[in-house]
Amino acid sequence: MKHVRLMLMTEDLPRASLALAQTEQFHPDSRPPEEQALANLPGRDYRETFAQARSRLDKIARVVELNENPALENLRVIDHDELEALNQKLGALWEEASHFEESFRGIDEQERVLREQEAALANFANLQVDLGALKRKTRFLDFYIGLVPRVNVSRLEGSVALAGHLLLNYMQRDNHAHVIIIGPSGERENQLGSVLGSAGFQALPIPEGITDKAPEELEADFRTRHLSLEEQRAKLQQELADWRTAHRTPLLDAQRALLLAEPLVTLDPSIHGVKSLAVLCGWVPARALEALRDGLQHHLQLPFALEERNPTAKERPLVPTVPTHNRVLAPFSTLVKQYGVPQYGEIDPTPLFALTFLLMFGMMFGDVGHGAVIALAAYLARDKLKNFAAFGIAAGVSSMLFGFVFGSIFGVEHWLPALWMAPLEDPIVMLEVALVWGIVFIIAACSLGIYNRFAVGNLEGALLAPHGLVNLLFYLGFLAGGWNLATAGGFGLWPGLIVLGSLATLAVHQWRHLSGPTGEKILVVAIETLDTVIVYLSNTLSFLRVSAFSLNHAALAIAIFTLADMLGTFGTILTLILGNLFILVLEGGIVMIQVMRLQYYEGFSRYFSGDGHEFAPLRLRLGGTPGKS
Amino acid sequence: MSAAAHAYLNTRVSVMSTRLLTPERANNLLGLELPELTERLELQAVIEDQLSAHAKVRALEQALIQTLLADVSVLIRPMNPAERALVLSWARRYALFNLKTLIRGKLYDLDPEAIRRDLYDLPPGLRLRRDELFRTENVLELLRVLEQGPFSLLARQAREVYEQKREPFALEAAIDQQYYSDLARQTMRFQGDSLQPLRRLIGALLDRVDLLWMLRFRFAYSFSPSETFYQLVPSPRLLHRERLLDLVNRENLRQLLDALPEPLATRMADAEDLIEVQRRVVAHQAEETRHILTQSASGVARALAYLMLREMDLMLLFALLQGGLLGLPRDVIKSAVDPHAFGAAANAATGSSPLAAAA
Repeated sequence: MKHVRLMLMTEDLPRASLALAQTEQFHPDSRPPEEQALANLPGRDYRETFAQARSRLDKIARVVELNENPALENLRVIDHDELEALNQKLGALWEEASHFEESFRGIDEQERVLREQEAALANFANLQVDLGALKRKTRFLDFYIGLVPRVNVSRLEGSVALAGHLLLNYMQRDNHAHVIIIGPSGERENQLGSVLGSAGFQALPIPEGITDKAPEELEADFRTRHLSLEEQRAKLQQELADWRTAHRTPLLDAQRALLLAEPLVTLDPSIHGVKSLAVLCGWVPARALEALRDGLQHHLQLPFALEERNPTAKERPLVPTVPTHNRVLAPFSTLVKQYGVPQYGEIDPTPLFALTFLLMFGMMFGDVGHGAVIALAAYLARDKLKNFAAFGIAAGVSSMLFGFVFGSIFGVEHWLPALWMAPLEDPIVMLEVALVWGIVFIIAACSLGIYNRFAVGNLEGALLAPHGLVNLLFYLGFLAGGWNLATAGGFGLWPGLIVLGSLATLAVHQWRHLSGPTGEKILVVAIETLDTVIVYLSNTLSFLRVSAFSLNHAALAIAIFTLADMLGTFGTILTLILGNLFILVLEGGIVMIQVMRLQYYEGFSRYFSGDGHEFAPLRLRLGGTPGKS
Repeated sequence: MSAAAHAYLNTRVSVMSTRLLTPERANNLLGLELPELTERLELQAVIEDQLSAHAKVRALEQALIQTLLADVSVLIRPMNPAERALVLSWARRYALFNLKTLIRGKLYDLDPEAIRRDLYDLPPGLRLRRDELFRTENVLELLRVLEQGPFSLLARQAREVYEQKREPFALEAAIDQQYYSDLARQTMRFQGDSLQPLRRLIGALLDRVDLLWMLRFRFAYSFSPSETFYQLVPSPRLLHRERLLDLVNRENLRQLLDALPEPLATRMADAEDLIEVQRRVVAHQAEETRHILTQSASGVARALAYLMLREMDLMLLFALLQGGLLGLPRDVIKSAVDPHAFGAAANAATGSSPLAAAA
C-alpha cells in the first residue's frame, strides 16, 4: 500500500474525483495537512449544494416513487455551476411535487373532517337536539361547533369563559375533542376568533337543509361527498402520474448527475488547499498506482503532481487493509470481521480460520448422515443464506468426511466401515489427538502472532508481549517438561531452565512497565506470572473439548437408539426422527459455538490484533437505489 | 430510584453545588475587566482574535451552554427513566432555541450559513435532526419533518396553529406553551417523595413565566384576557388556573400586581415596570430553587434545582462577558445583572471548575 498526495488546481477537483472513483483504488486519507498553509477547505460549497440537491431529489422520490436505476453510460464531470443549476431545477420540481403532497394531505384532512362530521351528527341525533336551530345564528347568541386537539380543551374552556362563553365537550375521538362553544353575541365575541385560531379549532359546519332531510338523504349526501373526495384523489393521482411521466427524463438525469458528483462529496473531508491549489491525500495499492496516474492524466485538464511514498512506521495503524475477495472464503471473512479487521501488514487470518474451523467442526460433529443433511439444507436455502450457504455446505461436507473417518452415519456405527476408528472405541486416543491438535494450534497461533508483530514493526511486542516469543519459549519448555514428567518421572533440567528463564524475563518486563508502590508491583507481577502458567495449561486442556464432543456425538446417538429399542414401531420411528433432529439442532449449535470460542479466544487473541480498518476505495454508486443516499 | 442511587445523586449534587456563585462571588466578578474575567474563567481560547464581536458572543454562549449540558449529562446518569426524561425535557429548551432559529431563518429567508452559525451544538440526547431540518424549504415542511421525532406533539400543535394563523408570533408562542405544558405534565406524573419538591420547583419556574407573559401579553401586546389566558400554562404552585383566570381580567399593571398571591404580592409591592417585575420574580424563583436544593431530600428535585441555579449563574457570566465584548459601560452592565438574585449555598466553598475558581 502506498500513501499518495495529489496536488492539483481546485477547478480540476471534480474531474480528479471522477478519475479516482473510476479506478476504485483510492482510499481517502482525511487527516488534516501538516502544512498550516493548506488549511482551506476548497470543496465545501460543492458539498453544500450537493447535499441540498440530494435532499430535494430524495423528497421528490418520496412523492413520485422513482424506482428506476439510471445507468451511467457516459462518465462526465459535474462542475459546481452545473450542480448549482441542477439544485435550482430540483428546487422548482420539489415545489411542484410538494404541492401534490400537500394536496393529498388536504384530501386526507377533508375526509377526516367529514368522518368527524358524520360522527357529530350521529351524536346529535341521539341527543334529540334541533340542529336547525343551532344553524340559525341569532342576534343574541353566538356559537361554534367543531373540533379541537384534546390537550387544548381545558385551556380553551378557561379562555372562552373569560369571553363570557360556555364550552361543552360532548365527544372525544382519537386526539380530538368535539366541542360546542356558546355565548352571548357582542364585543367579546371578537376575542374568541383569535383564541380559537391559537387552539387549532376546526369548525364542523352543519349541512344545509339538515332539518328538512330524512336520515337516508343525509347519508346519501355524505356518500356523495366521500365519492367526490375519492374522485379528487384519483384525479390528483393521475395528475401526479402525468407529472412523473413529463419529468421522468430530467429526474433520471438529475439522479445520474448526483451519482457522478458524489465522489467529490465523499472526498470532501480529505481535500485541503490554499487559493487555487488543492491537495488530496489517500492510500492506494502499489500495483494500482500506475493505473491511477494514467487515469488522472487522461481526465485532468490542468497540470497536477502525484507524490507517492511508503507508509511510515507511525502510520501503519492508519493504513487500510484490502479485504478477502474469494467467494468461497467470503462467509469466513464475515466471521473474522466480527472480531476485527487485520492491521495492514498482518497476515489475513481468513484462510487459516476457514481450514481450522472446518477441521474442528468436522471432528466434533463427524457423521456422514448429519453432515449430508447440513450440506443439503444449506444448499436448498442458498437464496436466503446467500454467502453463508457456502459456509453451511463446507461445514456439512467436513462433517461427512469425518463421518467416513469415524464410520458413523446418523449415529449408526456398523453400516459403514470406519476409515480410522469410532470415537468410543478408544476415548483415550481421541483425547490424545485433541491434545496434540490443541498444542499444534497454540504454537501456530503464537508463531503467527510473533510474525504479525514483527511485520508491523513492533519488535518489543513480538518478543515480550503476551503470546510473544518469550511466551512461546515458556510454552515449549513447559510442554517438554510435561512430556518428561509423563515419561521419565522428572521435569528435566533444560525445560526447567527455559520455563524459569522465560517467566523471569516476563516478570522483569512487567516490573519495568508498572508504576506504584513496591508491594503492589510485587503482587501484580506474581499474579501475572502465575496467570501465564495457568492460562497456557488451561488453554491446552481447552482443546480436549474437540474430542469430548465427538465422544458426546456418539454417546447421544447410542442413547437415542437405546430409547428407540424400548418402544414400538411407531415410537421407534418417532424417537429416531426427533432424536436426530435434536442432535442436529442442539448439538450442532453447541459445537458451532464451541468452535467459534476456540477460534476467538485460543486463536485470534494470540495472533490477530483486529484493530485495522478496511480498504474502502472511492467508487461510483452504479445503479444505486434512487432516493437513498 | 433506589436508596443507593438517591444517596449517590444527592452527594453529586452537593459536591457540584459548591460551584454555584454566592452573592459575594458574583459581586467580585462584577468588578473585573473583560480580559481578567475571561482569564479567570479560562475562556480566552474561545474568543479568538480573528472572530467578529457577534461570533465571539456566540462562541461564549456556546461554551457556557456546554458547561451546563456537561453537568446535565453527569447528573442524569444515576436517574431512572422518568427522572431522566424530566431533566432532559427541561434541558430541551436549548433544542427549542435551535428550532426557533431555524424557523426564523426559513420565515425570513436568511442566509443558510448565518443560520448555521447561530445554532447551538447540542449533545445527541437533545439534538434536533439538524441537517434534515436545515434542508427543508419552508416552515411547514420543517414542522412536518419535526413531527416524525420526539417533538411530534409540539410540532403538530405548532403546525396546526401556524396553518390557522400564519403568524410567526403564534408559532413561537405555541412552541413555548407546549414546552412548559409538557414540563408541568411530566412533573405531575411523579409520585412519592419527589412530587412535592418538584411541584414547588417547576411551580416557581411557571409562576415566573406566567407572570411575565401575562404582563407582556396583556399590557405590551394588548391581548384580550381570553387570548392571554390561552397562552399561559397553569402552575402547580401560586399561579394556578383559577388564579390566572382572575388575574388576566385586571385592567392595568398595578391592579394585576396587587392581586397576586403572597409572597409575590409583597415582593412586587412597589414595582413600577416590567423590568423591575422581571428582576423580582427571577429573585423569587432563585430563592425557591435554593430552598429545594438545600432543604429537599429528593435527588431529582435537587439535581434540577442545581441545574436551574447553575443556568442562572452562567447567564450572569454571559451577561458580564457580553457586556464587555460589546464595550458597554460598567454601570450599564451592573444595572443589567442583579448579583443578589444569584448564589446558592451561603457556605459555598471553592470548587475545582474554572467557573467556581473564578470567584
